[in-house]
Amino acid sequence: MAFQSKRKYCYFKENSISDIDYKDVKLLRRFVTDQGKIMPRRVTGTSAKMHRKLVRAIKKARNIALMPYTNTSTES
Amino acid sequence: MRYYESLYIVNPNYEQGKLDEVMKTVSETISGFGFNPINHFVWGKKRLAYNIQEHKYGSYVLLHFETESPENIDSFERFMVLQKSILRNQTVVLDEKPNKQSEKVSSNEEDKKDLTKESAEKTTKPLKEDKPENTEDSEMKEPEEEALEVESEPEEEAPENDQSDKGKENEETE
Repeated sequence: MAFQSKRKYCYFKENSISDIDYKDVKLLRRFVTDQGKIMPRRVTGTSAKMHRKLVRAIKKARNIALMPYTNTSTES
Repeated sequence: MRYYESLYIVNPNYEQGKLDEVMKTVSETISGFGFNPINHFVWGKKRLAYNIQEHKYGSYVLLHFETESPENIDSFERFMVLQKSILRNQTVVLDEKPNKQSEKVSSNEEDKKDLTKESAEKTTKPLKEDKPENTEDSEMKEPEEEALEVESEPEEEAPENDQSDKGKENEETE
C-alpha cells in the first residue's frame, strides 16, 4: 500500500502507566498542540479511559499555571 | 484516613526567610484543622505558564497531608485563598498514601541560588524586576521551540511536474 499510515497506539498502555500525575508536565506536553489545545483521541490514539484521565490532568496543570490555557504567537 | 496533596504558588519576590514564614503559617493552620502533614517542601521556583497578578514566576510549594476530618478541607482552601502571599493553590485527593520524601537536593539548591541573586538585584533595582531574567529565559527556550517546529513541518514535495509542463509548452510552440 502506498498510503499506509503509522499504526496508532495508546502511549499509556504501551508504557504501562495507570495514573497520570498533573505535575508531570513533560509527559502532558506530548498531548497538547503548540497552541496549548488538547489533542483529540483520534490523533493521539490514546484509549478512552486514559484520555479521560489525561484531560483531567491537563486541566489541573492549567489551573496551577504549569501549562498554558492558550499559547498565542503574540505572547513571548 | 484520606490523603491530600496541596500545591500552592508563593509570591516569587519573597526571600527564603519570608518563604519559610509562609510555609510555617500554613503548617500551623493545617495542624489547627486537625491535618497531619506528611511532606511539606519547596518544589522550586518556576516560570508560570501565564501571568498571575502580574507575576511571571512563582515559588511552588508542595504539601501532602492526611486527615480523618475531611469537612475542614473547605475552610482550609478558604484560608489559602485569603492569603495575600499565596498566588494560587490547588488541593487534590490522593488515592494512596504518598511516600515521605526527603528534602530535594539538586533542583532546590539551584533555586535557592536564583532566589538570592534576585533578591540582590531587587535591592539595587526595585523597579526593574524580571526583565533581565526574561531575556535569558526566552533565549534558553528558543532552540527547543525551533526544534519542535522543524519536526512538525511537513516535508516539501519535490516538483515533479515541471519537466512535463515544459515539454507541453515546447510542443505548443512548435
